Amino acid sequence: MPANAAPDTWTFAPAYELPRWPHVAPPDLGAAERLRYPVVIAGGGLAGLTLACDLALRGVRAVVLDDDDTVGVKGASSRGICYAQKSLETFDRLGIWERIRAKGITWSVGRTFSGDDEVYTFNLEDDSASKQPPFVNLQQFYLEWFLVDRIVELGGTDLRWKSTVGRVEALPAGDAVAVEVTTPGGVYTLEAEWFVDATGANSRIRDAMGLDIHAARSTDRWCITDVRFEKPFPPERWTWIDAPFNEGRAVWQHLMADDVWRLDYQMAEGADAEAISRPEVAAERLRAQLGADVGFEFVWIGPYQYRDHLLDTFRVGRTIFIGDSAHVVSPFGARGGNNGIQDAANLGWKLALVLSGEAGEALVDSYHDERHAAAVENLKVCRRTARFLAPRSTAEHRIRRAIADLARRHAFARTVANTGRMAQANVYPPCACAPEGAKSLQNVPVDGSTLMTWLGDGNGFLGLLIGGDAGSIAACDALEARFPVRFRSIDPQSPLAVHVAAVCAAPAGSVVLVRPDGYVAHVVAGAGLAGIEAALRIALALDGRADAQAAA
Amino acid sequence: MRTDPNIPDPDGFNEAWLRAHEGLADDASGELDTRLVLLLANQIGDQQVLLDCIAEARASGPPSRRTP
Repeated sequence: MPANAAPDTWTFAPAYELPRWPHVAPPDLGAAERLRYPVVIAGGGLAGLTLACDLALRGVRAVVLDDDDTVGVKGASSRGICYAQKSLETFDRLGIWERIRAKGITWSVGRTFSGDDEVYTFNLEDDSASKQPPFVNLQQFYLEWFLVDRIVELGGTDLRWKSTVGRVEALPAGDAVAVEVTTPGGVYTLEAEWFVDATGANSRIRDAMGLDIHAARSTDRWCITDVRFEKPFPPERWTWIDAPFNEGRAVWQHLMADDVWRLDYQMAEGADAEAISRPEVAAERLRAQLGADVGFEFVWIGPYQYRDHLLDTFRVGRTIFIGDSAHVVSPFGARGGNNGIQDAANLGWKLALVLSGEAGEALVDSYHDERHAAAVENLKVCRRTARFLAPRSTAEHRIRRAIADLARRHAFARTVANTGRMAQANVYPPCACAPEGAKSLQNVPVDGSTLMTWLGDGNGFLGLLIGGDAGSIAACDALEARFPVRFRSIDPQSPLAVHVAAVCAAPAGSVVLVRPDGYVAHVVAGAGLAGIEAALRIALALDGRADAQAAA
Repeated sequence: MRTDPNIPDPDGFNEAWLRAHEGLADDASGELDTRLVLLLANQIGDQQVLLDCIAEARASGPPSRRTP
């Protein structure tokens, strides 16, 4: 790394070399009639690729349409950087955790400063029983890269690069969607039994359908500086509410892979985006923070204003919206990309079981019920943080100063200082397929394996018999032939049973039905077969109506 | 939210409150009261009571002093 001793010099690191994948002419071009596919995913970002990978492991051969032929955004910039435990657990199930762990930065401590004082600290490790840490930081393009590699390795998925989605039209029968695709080799139309829009915040698919997203744009302006520098800091999340080295405005400091730090500076309202992102201006900010003599190398500089939006319904007929096309929040708390990943984790098993006929189609509606509720919660949480970070009036500034001043002296006030509430697995409210709502389990080690490894084996529910004896297991086996479920007995004293008991009341002798996404669907007291079957029928949307015979 | 008299020594409390503001500029006075609100809120520790108090504080100001 060059030392920038002279106060007016700066250098940029060479741009990342990202992999490219070839466009292969699909069989649809020149086919006599339209081909129909079970699942077509538009958009090869975090959400779309996670879904494709999840489906591949469940034996569903999805088509992925991406208008580019690489991952990430152009150049060395990165969007998402923080990946939360639930995402990491999902990636463990998908088979890319080891690569993420090896490349990324594991962290759990966050510190908040006001002026020169540390006013608030959290250590997320305290609440973790998982094989995965609370957070790993990694440039988003690495994650997407690992996902593509894994999808290719698994086989079965049809990754179509340089393929831009045009007209999308629900077929009159209501059982498929026609999708027009433009490629270097020509234009074709395919049919999707389920069409998933994962094309991101500016989705033209969504906009062409005329759906209102209730968009709001903040006037709060920030400038990211991704940079390598010669100064040792711990791999922690540091935030300043009012940094003395940034004219009393907020600053973020966070480490990513390859020794790249993300520094994110809050700018004056109305600041000129071009002016604040000039390298010499960014270098001046950096030296104000790190000292005039620190050596550094820029990786990327980018100004932004955050915005948010939320679609009213995540399912319109056979079209489903996941990730940023459905919801966007401000970046505080890592609730963007992580929730795209969780959309995919929530949807994958549902689509797979509906396609195989093992679940009723209404199960797909629970994707909207659960993930829309999660998005509402995330939007609320992120808007609160955004308001703390950008006070709108003299009164709001005064309230924030009071919080910061008391936080220096008293623990209670630290809880009100809000520089972001880090993403965690959202609790799902009750819906038709989960009448008591659903809570997430961590990836707790069990019997030389982990919960996620157990869940990743096959495509179905896991019935945990808490202290079940041979007799009750044998009885449950009868259900395995009729429903997508497998039963395992665990010791009531085991770490997994202790964790389950902390999440939901599950006394010894009960059966805990865990969904393929690691959420508890239901606790059946007493392990009665009739009760377990009834719970499964509800959770699989096989209860009543025309779907009831599907599992027979 | 209780609105019956509950402060043991109302005049003593008022005197201490006024004394705390002595010698402070308007800004500093405003900040003191804001810190005081936060300290008192933590003593109450009941979310519904806090929300009721916020609503009553907002409602009890004379109409002429509210922003339309």
